[in-house]
Amino acid sequence: MLNKFINKIAPRSPWLYRLNAGSCNGCDVELATVALIPRYDVERLGCKYCGSPRHADIVLISGPLTSRVRDKVLRVYDEIPHPKVTLACGACPISGGVYRDSYTVNSPIDQYIPIDVVVPGCPPRPHAIIEGVALALEIWRKRLEEGTCSRS
Amino acid sequence: MLPFLKVLVRNLRQGPSTDPFPFAPTYTPARFRGRAELDENQCILCGICRHVCAAGAIQFRAAEDGSGMEFRVWHNSCTYCGLCAHYCPTKAIRMTNDWHLSHKGEDMYSFAETKFVKLGSCAECGATIQPRPAAIVEKLGARYPERFMLCPKCKRETLANHAASRKVIRVEEAR
Ligand code: SF4
Ligand code: SF4
Ligand code: SF4
Repeated sequence: MLNKFINKIAPRSPWLYRLNAGSCNGCDVELATVALIPRYDVERLGCKYCGSPRHADIVLISGPLTSRVRDKVLRVYDEIPHPKVTLACGACPISGGVYRDSYTVNSPIDQYIPIDVVVPGCPPRPHAIIEGVALALEIWRKRLEEGTCSRS
Repeated sequence: MLPFLKVLVRNLRQGPSTDPFPFAPTYTPARFRGRAELDENQCILCGICRHVCAAGAIQFRAAEDGSGMEFRVWHNSCTYCGLCAHYCPTKAIRMTNDWHLSHKGEDMYSFAETKFVKLGSCAECGATIQPRPAAIVEKLGARYPERFMLCPKCKRETLANHAASRKVIRVEEAR
């Protein structure tokens, strides 16, 4: 009962969390632009960036998951509570992008982390990221209603 | 005077600067490089696009019956650099300004532009050659349109015959 009530009011305030898996900073700049510049303003969708993985609802992953950060990224990812929704930002997490075939990258990232939404681009346009976040929100709301987690 | 009043008045006059997207359509520059698109009727399967693609997004797969090639641009690997469109000799591949590319994770590996390009046949012996669409013959094969339609072997033969006949004439003239 209480659970249902919480799940009903919770979708108003999803928290976004940026997880840099070894990106070149291109995608990160665009992700920051999406929230910090009034022109794009992802907060109109009711979401806000947070600084702690424990508060996060939607994880925005950028970068090809380099060997150096892999274990740290996975550790942070495991700290994020369910139901989490993952959004892969840019070409890197999916195919490695310009780093594809390098021995230091572990893409595709879905070998390690399930990916729910993909926004291709190198880097994607801020509008495209907003579109992806809107799609992630839909998935997140559905997950809250059904009570499923991203690994199930 | 207080500087913020100036800003306030200016902002009131100009209205909000936030882009209305996603609640309303937004402006896209005409030359914005988005999704790549292939016109399979223009492609001559020269492979330059695949050669210049640093991200390895372009793949060719031969059909099993040998009737053509499957051309694939995987949007999730493309870096939207536009080099393929720049180097394509026939302008068969071009960058559209469509950036609505976000999609669900399950479509991750199938999110590609897939087109089937039929191979051509030699006008002389019927052997399989690269496609030769009419529009391209006008552009690339304007000097010898009939030779442009031949396979390498028949092309060599015609060239040899041509050279031989010229030599014969010259020999005859010399007599
Ligand atoms: S997708 Fe492009 S911009 Fe984004 S992290 Fe990878 S190389 Fe950088
Ligand atoms: S798309 Fe253009 S560059 Fe690529 S194979 Fe076809 S003709 Fe050649
Ligand atoms: S735009 Fe660049 S990365 Fe994309 S298919 Fe063309 S050459 Fe490859």
